[in-house]
Amino acid sequence: MSSRIRSYNTEGVILRRRNFGEADSIFTVFSPTVGKFDAIAKGVRKPSSRMRGHLEPLTRSQMHLGQGRNLDVFTQAETVAAYRSVREDLDRLTLAIYCCELIDRFTVDRVPQAELYHLLNELLEGLDSSAPLTIGRAFELRILSLTGYELQLVGCALCGRKLPEADALFSAAAGGLVCEACRPSAGSGRIISVRAIKVLRFARNASIGEFAGLRLDAELELELQRALGDAIRSVLDRETNSGRYVESLARPLHGGERSSRRDVQSAPPTST
Amino acid sequence: MADASSTPEPIQRLVEAFHRLPGIGPKSAQRLAYHILRGPDQDAVALADALIDVKRRIRFCSQCLNITESDPCGFCTDARRDQSTICVVEQALDVLALERSGYRGLYHVLHGVLNPMDGIGPEDIHVRELVVRLQSGDASEVIMATNPSLEGEATAMYVHRLIGPSGVKVTRLARGLPSGADLEYADDVTLARALEGRREL
Repeated sequence: MSSRIRSYNTEGVILRRRNFGEADSIFTVFSPTVGKFDAIAKGVRKPSSRMRGHLEPLTRSQMHLGQGRNLDVFTQAETVAAYRSVREDLDRLTLAIYCCELIDRFTVDRVPQAELYHLLNELLEGLDSSAPLTIGRAFELRILSLTGYELQLVGCALCGRKLPEADALFSAAAGGLVCEACRPSAGSGRIISVRAIKVLRFARNASIGEFAGLRLDAELELELQRALGDAIRSVLDRETNSGRYVESLARPLHGGERSSRRDVQSAPPTST
Repeated sequence: MADASSTPEPIQRLVEAFHRLPGIGPKSAQRLAYHILRGPDQDAVALADALIDVKRRIRFCSQCLNITESDPCGFCTDARRDQSTICVVEQALDVLALERSGYRGLYHVLHGVLNPMDGIGPEDIHVRELVVRLQSGDASEVIMATNPSLEGEATAMYVHRLIGPSGVKVTRLARGLPSGADLEYADDVTLARALEGRREL
């Protein structure tokens, strides 16, 4: 071997795990210094693995990796924050998984985005303490602006004119609120209340912690959820996998259309 | 894989079939195929029969969804087993593991776990069958024996939320340190739970 094996240290949050081969797993990690990357942990599914618990999804860990030919290989891992309370509450857990999926979908490999990393940890810390689940909305709004899709909330997204203090059309395609005059050219959208607009404007410059202090009633929360859901769908140009479970797991076995991912009858899954 | 034109078609087909199996690369697939070719006829016939049998004769038990030849399966019809507890597992292989541990109650095989990030929800695993079964059966305890992973925990919490209101006791396998483990390398969550579940000596 001519090239020497190099290794590096980094901190990161485990976004997802895919099993690989007999006892290995490939993890997607989001690191403030490296960005998003995949790496393999050998033998991590054996009970004797020393890294097993430190590489669970949603764990923030300090890790040591060696550069591999295709994938980097974990050599050591130690938990920095396990966010245990998030794991023990189904609603918090589903929201955390949804936010990790957003990070995964909004980022490209190996581009460091320290602010996004900070945002993810702010969210996980909030969910780990007693912050309300509405902080998911603040996360959605902030991930949009941090990745270059900031919503237009003060002026009209089409003509730029300042908006009056009133309900307005929110158009995901236009990229924010649209004034009365531009409505015909804005395409589809939904009217959102002036209350919702104020919350969105506040959330732009607020930390997750500050947003957690807001009292949002169910109606307002639903309004924000729909508008931000539109915006995210419009940017990603697809539905997220976990998004629909944020709601459907809370209401057992109602709704939640059957996904056609696989047919259990014909092929017993091999999720070992 | 070998150049398709130089290999006779039947061998090529067999190599490709082996290659589709998990953990079998192109070279292993070739080795297996040529091994079959060189071996006695009856070995090849026995393998072919076994493959066909396993697909034709094995089905899911209508009660516990375990894989079985007869429906209901041997576990569900065995009167000596404790009918009041149902152990919920992710996959049929877990049943074998629990049998080795000495558990002698009933089972329910989910054939999967919730995995929101991959889009696998309650409708994709056999959780509805469990609810139906609890309504008609005389089980008083459901033991959630899904893996102590993020997905396994999510599934356990979901099932608890689903059947908790029905009054059936829902328990979860204890979490702690595996035998032969090093405390030094244990993760915080496992260690914290091991501490909470400590026993008096």
